[in-house]
Amino acid sequence: MAERAAGQAASLRFVDSVERSLARLREIHPLMPWVIAALVLAPLPWLLGNTYHVYLANFICIMILLSVGLNIVKGFCGQVTVGHVGLYAIGAYTAAVMSVNFGTPFWISLPIAVGVTLLAGMVVGTPSFRLEGAYLALVTLGLGESVRLFISATEYLGATNGFSGVPAPRIGEFRFDTYQKYYYLVMPVMLLGVFFSFQILRSRLGRAFMAVREDPVAAAASGVNVRRHKMIAFMISAAYAGFAGALYAHMIPGYLNPRNFTVIEMVTLLLMVVLGGLGHIWGGIIGAIIVTIVYDITKDYYHYSLLMFGMVIVLTVLFMPKGIGGIIDRFIATRRFIAIREREAARARAGGAASGAGERGSGDAA
Amino acid sequence: MDLLLDFVIVGVSIGIVYGLVALGISLIFSGLDIVHFAHGELYMIGSFLGIAVISFTGVPYFWALIGAMIITGVLGVVVERVFYRRLTRGGGGYTVAGMGMIICGFGMSVALQNVAYLLWGAAPHPYPVSFGMPIFLGNIALPKSYLYILICALVLMTVLHTFLTRTKLGLAVRAVAYNKDTSYLMGVNVPVMISLIFGVACAMAAAAGVLIGPINYVQIEMGYLMLLKAFAAAVVGGFGSLPGALLGGILVGLFETLCAGYLIASYKDIYAFLLLIVVLMVRPTGLLGILVKVKA
Repeated sequence: MAERAAGQAASLRFVDSVERSLARLREIHPLMPWVIAALVLAPLPWLLGNTYHVYLANFICIMILLSVGLNIVKGFCGQVTVGHVGLYAIGAYTAAVMSVNFGTPFWISLPIAVGVTLLAGMVVGTPSFRLEGAYLALVTLGLGESVRLFISATEYLGATNGFSGVPAPRIGEFRFDTYQKYYYLVMPVMLLGVFFSFQILRSRLGRAFMAVREDPVAAAASGVNVRRHKMIAFMISAAYAGFAGALYAHMIPGYLNPRNFTVIEMVTLLLMVVLGGLGHIWGGIIGAIIVTIVYDITKDYYHYSLLMFGMVIVLTVLFMPKGIGGIIDRFIATRRFIAIREREAARARAGGAASGAGERGSGDAA
Repeated sequence: MDLLLDFVIVGVSIGIVYGLVALGISLIFSGLDIVHFAHGELYMIGSFLGIAVISFTGVPYFWALIGAMIITGVLGVVVERVFYRRLTRGGGGYTVAGMGMIICGFGMSVALQNVAYLLWGAAPHPYPVSFGMPIFLGNIALPKSYLYILICALVLMTVLHTFLTRTKLGLAVRAVAYNKDTSYLMGVNVPVMISLIFGVACAMAAAAGVLIGPINYVQIEMGYLMLLKAFAAAVVGGFGSLPGALLGGILVGLFETLCAGYLIASYKDIYAFLLLIVVLMVRPTGLLGILVKVKA
């Protein structure tokens, strides 16, 4: 018992010290934590060594972009969309077609891909004005599937053979043609994406999304334009999917296949967001990292992967509806609560002598 | 003209199969206010079970249909009891599952698909039955399986309709669909009725799977497209309306077959989605105009 209490106190101290140091960094400059994050992530390709692991790191970054975007519309705005992979495919194929068939460099095809995906996101978002829940889920699923079916039936896009020869991006003579080099393109974009998602979700816009999720009628009554915010949420998440798709298309070997945008990818993506925590600000990030790594470790058992993923989704929804993010939140909240109680007990024992000590931290825990 | 007639016959037969699956989706929706996302997988598993029944016991096609329906129905009840019950019970009464239920059904769907893959593999399976020579209507050679689809589906619909409207059990099912709390107070065993609804809906899906088997190959990926098309059928006909599901199925089947016949054939599967999207945008209540319950 005493050991456990000591462990809990230690974990709380750890969490508190992390938060305090983050706050101190933010005092220096609001962007400081992000700079530190970039510096910490920068040497990763050297630390990993193995090229395959670097590829995996790139892939995780792309997945984080995707799942963070999905979390915005699904977790925060509460719109059940399951066609996100379709948007990802649109982004990837637009970038690929632009750079192969029209010869535009990556820096032009990327914004075009994002723009096209934004438009597609508007198309996906339009049904959300009239439909809710399962209806919306099926319509988005239908749209997402239509994209894949369209690609695999269209010769211009390579049909089922896939679309190959997408060039690596370049700046002047420098080409991002290895996974190590590509990491320095994907990682900053991922960090920027996560940064913007935090900014959006902690702003007025993010709070409006949550109001729409909790109760559209109440949100409308409080002056939130429900339609507009639903549309904005869909567009933001589509933009994320566009970035992810374009980055995926240009990553070596520069080959796209409609088989990479099937229901399996959809389930993987869904699992990331659900496992990480729907509507938790870290949800998509935690989920993308865990799921991609677990998927890779269990690749030898890929026959069972869908069964495993499906069951994990079902069990997560049944027993852990807030995902890992929710559990961490609850853990921290409980520890804080215990700490406050202990502090009060100690104060009571001391007869109120130590009044000023230990006051810190109780305010934000309340 | 012959071509058109051929398309119409094929479209209607396929559409009736969509209608059968849509019937199950509609039934579950009216009973539990949820859309069962794994329903397409039960259709696929039902189809495979039909093959398994035929190849293990050597019984004729008709008995395989009944056998597959019973096994899939039991499977559906088990899935509902073990997994969905927690969700459908949460949030007061047996309704309100919202996003959780959708995601859960999605996960269940891929899990079931993987189970089917482990059992039967990824290769398409032909149905081990033969109905002999096709029937000739003028210049059109019509395989007999279309006829079987028509007859079996109509019989099944009639049985279901009679069950729901003429028997005491059917009345209880309808009462549960109408209001669970009141049904409880009137002495209806609501949990059992919900399991029954699930079982019947899954049996219908299995029947659709066995009926479509002789026309198409059976493969593990077929459930997923079927879910979307059956949902389209249910929506086109009006969600929660059983005759509407059949009508919607026929419309979707016709639309799809005609578009594939006269427009680009390789986009066949996209047309049903287009119809679904257009109907949802223009007239979400469906053709029969049943009031849409917005709960799930």
